[in-house]
Amino acid sequence: MTPTTNPFSTRHTRPGSIVPLDGRGSPLDIPLLVGRLRRAGGVGAIVGPHGSGKSTLLLRLADEIEAGGTRVERVRMRGWWDVSRAVLAFRNAGRSGIVCIDGWERLAGPVRRLVRLLAWTAGRGLVVTMHRRDSMPELATCCTSPGLLAAIVDRLPGRSDWYGTLIGAQDVRAAFDRRRGDIREALYDLYDVFERRARGSVPRRS
Amino acid sequence: MRLPRFFAKKRGHRRTGAREWGAFGDGLFHGMLLLGGLFFGALLATGVAAPEWRINHDYIESTGTILAKGLARSTREDPPGTVAETWQPRLRVRYTTVDGVREAWTRGSAAQTTTDRESALRGLASWKLGSQSKCWYDPAAPDTVVLERGYNWWLWLLALLLPGALVLIGGSGLVRALRSWGRSEECRAASTGLAELLDPLAHPPPTSPGHPAVPSWDDLVNSPGTILKYRLPIESAEHWTLVGFGLFALLWNAVLVVLAVGAGLDLMGGRIDWWLFALLGPFLVIGIGGIVLFVRSLFLATVVGPTQVEISDHPLVPGGQYDVLLAQGGTGVFRRLQMSLELEEQATFRQGTDTRTERVTIWCRPLVDCRDVSPAPESRFETRTSFGIPADAMHSFTSPHNAVQWRLVVRGVTDRRPAFVRVFPVVIFPQDPFPSAATAPRRSDAEAVR
Amino acid sequence: MSDLQNRAGLNRDGQERVGASPQVDVQFDRPARRYQPGDRLAVRYRIDDCDGDRIHAIEHSVVWYTEGKGEEDLGVHFFQRVTDRSLRSSRVVAGDFAASLPRSPLSYEGLIVKVRWCVRVRVFFDGSRDFVSEHVFEMGDVPPARLPPPEA
Repeated sequence: MTPTTNPFSTRHTRPGSIVPLDGRGSPLDIPLLVGRLRRAGGVGAIVGPHGSGKSTLLLRLADEIEAGGTRVERVRMRGWWDVSRAVLAFRNAGRSGIVCIDGWERLAGPVRRLVRLLAWTAGRGLVVTMHRRDSMPELATCCTSPGLLAAIVDRLPGRSDWYGTLIGAQDVRAAFDRRRGDIREALYDLYDVFERRARGSVPRRS
Repeated sequence: MRLPRFFAKKRGHRRTGAREWGAFGDGLFHGMLLLGGLFFGALLATGVAAPEWRINHDYIESTGTILAKGLARSTREDPPGTVAETWQPRLRVRYTTVDGVREAWTRGSAAQTTTDRESALRGLASWKLGSQSKCWYDPAAPDTVVLERGYNWWLWLLALLLPGALVLIGGSGLVRALRSWGRSEECRAASTGLAELLDPLAHPPPTSPGHPAVPSWDDLVNSPGTILKYRLPIESAEHWTLVGFGLFALLWNAVLVVLAVGAGLDLMGGRIDWWLFALLGPFLVIGIGGIVLFVRSLFLATVVGPTQVEISDHPLVPGGQYDVLLAQGGTGVFRRLQMSLELEEQATFRQGTDTRTERVTIWCRPLVDCRDVSPAPESRFETRTSFGIPADAMHSFTSPHNAVQWRLVVRGVTDRRPAFVRVFPVVIFPQDPFPSAATAPRRSDAEAVR
Repeated sequence: MSDLQNRAGLNRDGQERVGASPQVDVQFDRPARRYQPGDRLAVRYRIDDCDGDRIHAIEHSVVWYTEGKGEEDLGVHFFQRVTDRSLRSSRVVAGDFAASLPRSPLSYEGLIVKVRWCVRVRVFFDGSRDFVSEHVFEMGDVPPARLPPPEA
């Protein structure tokens, strides 16, 4: 018997697996964002609360820039100790390259200023994600809505097999409300709901 | 300085060779870190550590008479256009060597060098002209003489830590870059051994030989039981907390003692390092806090009494039958003492900048449920039972971010002390790892007697 | 849901990659695709619809991976890279390989951790493009984990 794949498992919902969508659930105009970044001198920040898709957008933006022939380095900051990886990324990016840093706020304020100075003097672009605005030019703001979560769910694999039976619109809305707009946590909740219903411990939706 | 240009569109596919150039740049950067670490380490060793070592071990002791005092001034242009001066107190000493009587200015140390002329003058105040003092001279260069010996611990720490960190980071990164050069995901994953050791991002847990992804069970059979074959080690959060607090208190207070001794010696020598004294205050507060936390954790861990679990065989296999013994020490009454066999799944995910670990108990079978248990003084409460592993049970599984873990979990509720949970991990193999010993599933001792 | 995933035939937008998206057909020696530890797994594959792009290498692998709520972990049991010159001139490529399966890990359908086995065929084209096709099979007889009862 073929094992059932839970469409809400991390391999289908992790950053890079989902198309970046705006707050209403429409695909983001990535080339437009790339143009905005160019006009901002290659420096920009993606701002938004937890689980709002900043990492997803950053990865997609990086891919688009890379497809245009520009060298892109990606760094995910887990803590202050990853500053060396950020420095390494600047080195690897080469002249006119772009460094994408996920988790800008993991760096202390003075270190952030130093990294920005490094980017400016080295002629590298810098795109970061953060939860709150600061002095960096804002490239995009990520916000969440029930429509966004619904649009993500619509794009998960095998939708026609399970939508309306194992997961419905009410489940999506309930997960969004329960997690107060945190899309990532809402997807984890929907994972659990799908799993329980697929195994029959909770009745499927009629 | 140019702003980035990234709109020179290329036709066709994405750029090629990016991964290889990335690995090359990665390797080059880490190679430079490694070389830098070796270079600075050698520099510090030869410039600071080695001379200090020679003073303390090779120099010959003599008695010197202080003839004069002076300040040595050094100037340097740093940054260009700005002159910086440093001052070093020096004393002219007459002393006796194997070759005869000599007079020389003492050799200053880096610790005595200061940018503050007044501070340097104060350093000379404690020395009296015409007084005699022990001195040490270099037998290889008898005109080199010092009036103080000892180790400047800050500089030794600097000589070891910073270059050591550069060498470690650079070396591991270089090897990692070389090993991942031009490889696909499967190819990289197929390589084993050194890659996992040197990659700081992924430390796969130890596995049993011949059984990929099954955790190693060697550490679980180190202790023989008093009644049954093996005594299982405990794995509880409270114990890790205790170990953590203990290590922190030990290391922090060791550093604090070193700093305090250094500050005391400086004070006795008439010098005051204000930065050091300023650091000692908060360090002391943190050190005392660490000790308090450790003592509190120790109290909580020991007040309940030890819990021991013994098992008739290990590792376990699906379909097997086993005896288990629960022994609980301590004083007072345990309102309830339970032990259960549990299966727990654990999944860790890094998304965005957060790390999320979720644990779910999938299966639970109660084995022991005792009420109003009172261990006898100087003794312990014991109970023994048998249990079986379902024939279709999933084996223990471990990978860097996911795990399927079997455990024996003991829960106790007491009157006046906090309730406790103590976990004893066990390993279930997919099949008998020693098939030549028995073809049938293992039996417990009780069944063997019958 | 089909267990056949031509994953890397899709770009990050979920659309087919610009250029060739070859079809990789994989046949297992056991139609039910169920094996036991120590069994010999034999696979035949066929790659076509390369649309003129030249293949310069093919990698076969038998891997296990985790799926669920955690990061994906991967274990490679069998790996082989083929760089035969005849690949370049063929419009349709066929091949086969076999491997003895290890003792562990067994396939497992847990709640937040699942362990899956699959055969991967990765095709490398000129120009550093690659395409991977994944085909799941089962090893062992571990039934799906039963859910714990909801907390009261």
